[in-house]
Amino acid sequence: MSIAWVAPEPSYRSYLQVRSLLSMLILAGMVAGAYFTGIYPQEAFPLWWAGVIWALLTLFFSLFFASRRFLFTAYARSPEGMHLKRGALFRKIRAVPLNRIQHVEFKQSFLERLFGIARLAMYTAGSGGADLTIPGLEPELALQLKTELLTTIANEPELDDNANE
Amino acid sequence: MPMSELTWQRTPLITIAFFLFRQLKQFVTNISNLIPVLAAVFVAGKNAVWLPFALAGGYLVFTIINAVLQQRFFLYAIAEDAVHIRSGLFNRQHLTLKYERIQQAEIHEAWYFRPFKLTILSVDSAGSAGKEVMIPGLTMPLAQELRQRMLAVHEGVPASSATPTDAEQHQPTTFEQRFPVSEIVRAGIIDNKLFVLLAVLIYPMSQLDLLEDYVVPWVQANVSWLSEGNAWLLVSGAVIAGLALLFLLAIVVSLITYHDLHLTIQGERFQAKSGALSIRTLSFRYPKLQAVYVRRNLRARLLQRSVVRVSQLQPRQAQAGGQSGQQFILPVVDARFFARFRQELRLPDQELVNWQRLSNLALLGPSMWLAVLAPVAAGVLFFAAESGVIGLLLSALGWLLLQILVVLRWRNYGYSFVSSTTQPAEQWFVVRRGVFSRNENWYPRHKVQQIDVEQGPWLRLLGFAHLVLHTAAGSESIEFLPYAEAVKLQQEWTQEIAQNHRRWM
Repeated sequence: MSIAWVAPEPSYRSYLQVRSLLSMLILAGMVAGAYFTGIYPQEAFPLWWAGVIWALLTLFFSLFFASRRFLFTAYARSPEGMHLKRGALFRKIRAVPLNRIQHVEFKQSFLERLFGIARLAMYTAGSGGADLTIPGLEPELALQLKTELLTTIANEPELDDNANE
Repeated sequence: MPMSELTWQRTPLITIAFFLFRQLKQFVTNISNLIPVLAAVFVAGKNAVWLPFALAGGYLVFTIINAVLQQRFFLYAIAEDAVHIRSGLFNRQHLTLKYERIQQAEIHEAWYFRPFKLTILSVDSAGSAGKEVMIPGLTMPLAQELRQRMLAVHEGVPASSATPTDAEQHQPTTFEQRFPVSEIVRAGIIDNKLFVLLAVLIYPMSQLDLLEDYVVPWVQANVSWLSEGNAWLLVSGAVIAGLALLFLLAIVVSLITYHDLHLTIQGERFQAKSGALSIRTLSFRYPKLQAVYVRRNLRARLLQRSVVRVSQLQPRQAQAGGQSGQQFILPVVDARFFARFRQELRLPDQELVNWQRLSNLALLGPSMWLAVLAPVAAGVLFFAAESGVIGLLLSALGWLLLQILVVLRWRNYGYSFVSSTTQPAEQWFVVRRGVFSRNENWYPRHKVQQIDVEQGPWLRLLGFAHLVLHTAAGSESIEFLPYAEAVKLQQEWTQEIAQNHRRWM
């Protein structure tokens, strides 16, 4: 049995790139702040070195790494579970059986709204945070998937343990 | 039943002690949060000696008044189908606990209640709010009746038919075990708090300069026969005596907490009762079992005993984050009893477990790291620290020790997927690990919540992956599976779990 993987929306790639660019800009802002307040060790580490390193890192993360992450992100819905694979360097394939999902959440940050994508987070028992978050979904599709999942969960037959044994 | 018809009752006066102890307990558990405040008080106290005392006194008065008020405003009412609790002076709280929603009810006999023949009934209710409710100061018969009523409803028996007399008998005791004192002493040796005590004691001792300021002058003044030559003898003797004392103390603690340990199994209900001062009851119902941990440290292996802990999904466990003192634990289990107890837990016999070893390639990564790091350490020691040959020898020795640990860890790791032969059969997966100790973690397979296949760059190079299974009791990883096998297992198990409609909590 092979899983029919579905790739996220293409705009998810741009979203990842912009997000990594934003975090690099925050880093640049911090260095600039240090430079203007005079904390920056000008003698030990010239500013243009930092600039070159920053530019290289930005290029690497925003162009190469973000698209690589996009390439390896995919989700799949099989009759028995939700599957998600992520990670460019450290790969992770996660599977959650449908009857273990406790609740489903539709999430959309400001940046995601600009790109017209949304996330769907699924929670199981026993762990703290969201357990399976599918990124880069079209909002319509995410909502539809959410309703679908909730109906499946609600119709899940729950046998009593005594009846089973 | 309308609210007005409820007969509200106040708990006895002695329950002030309960509220007092509860506050003190909260204070102790939260003390780490207060350290900055305490430090500030300490600094300020250099100029004003009275300040810490005033604060401590103020806190004490506040706690006592608070405890009295809490007792005055704590009311409970017992109805046909629920317990109602009203509490709080300013924040009024009204809690209705339906019997059918109650997961667990335990009777605790705290030491300060025992002379008055009173008990505390603590109740876990289902729901994500996960609150544990305690009703202090009930008499034993009343607490027992209430508990029976709560659990009877839960087990599908109508409340009215479960009177305390026949409820006790409605499920016959299938298994019973008492643990003699000799076993409890062994439990004290196995679970020795010695090292914890040492860690706690060493820091203040080092701060006080006890040895230099008090002990040495005293010894010099009083023990004239002591020469330089046998001073070390005295010191090491004192250290050994201190350790022995701590060791004995830890055994005494175990004797007090596990005094008259008594295990009963009634159908699906497991219960362990123990204690010399406060009698505590730990219990779980089999369908709620999430994991069984069998621990065997070096001392336990020498004594040929194990420690068995059963984890269940509990609201308070989620709050406390991991291990709480309320987990069901049998501190000392010998081989004969364990064989019997395995049957009750529906674990397969030891012979049925077909342990799978790690691949030889699992040794490669850590060994390579060590092989790189040891020469680096040797180089640093030789050239930078100028330690000469001793530095080289030390790093070689360190490398050897760590490499042995790596090999031992690799050798002792094992996993297996087994089905028990008990009726009803249960499917398990088990992971065994340990360097000097032997620890087995057993999880029922159909209670797995999510399954991960993880693969870092190194594993990808070798074509392996870790299979990480998340259960409600925690995560467990089955390491170094061939990638294709890991993915196949993940799919098979997901399918199997999705088609299994048994209750998992």
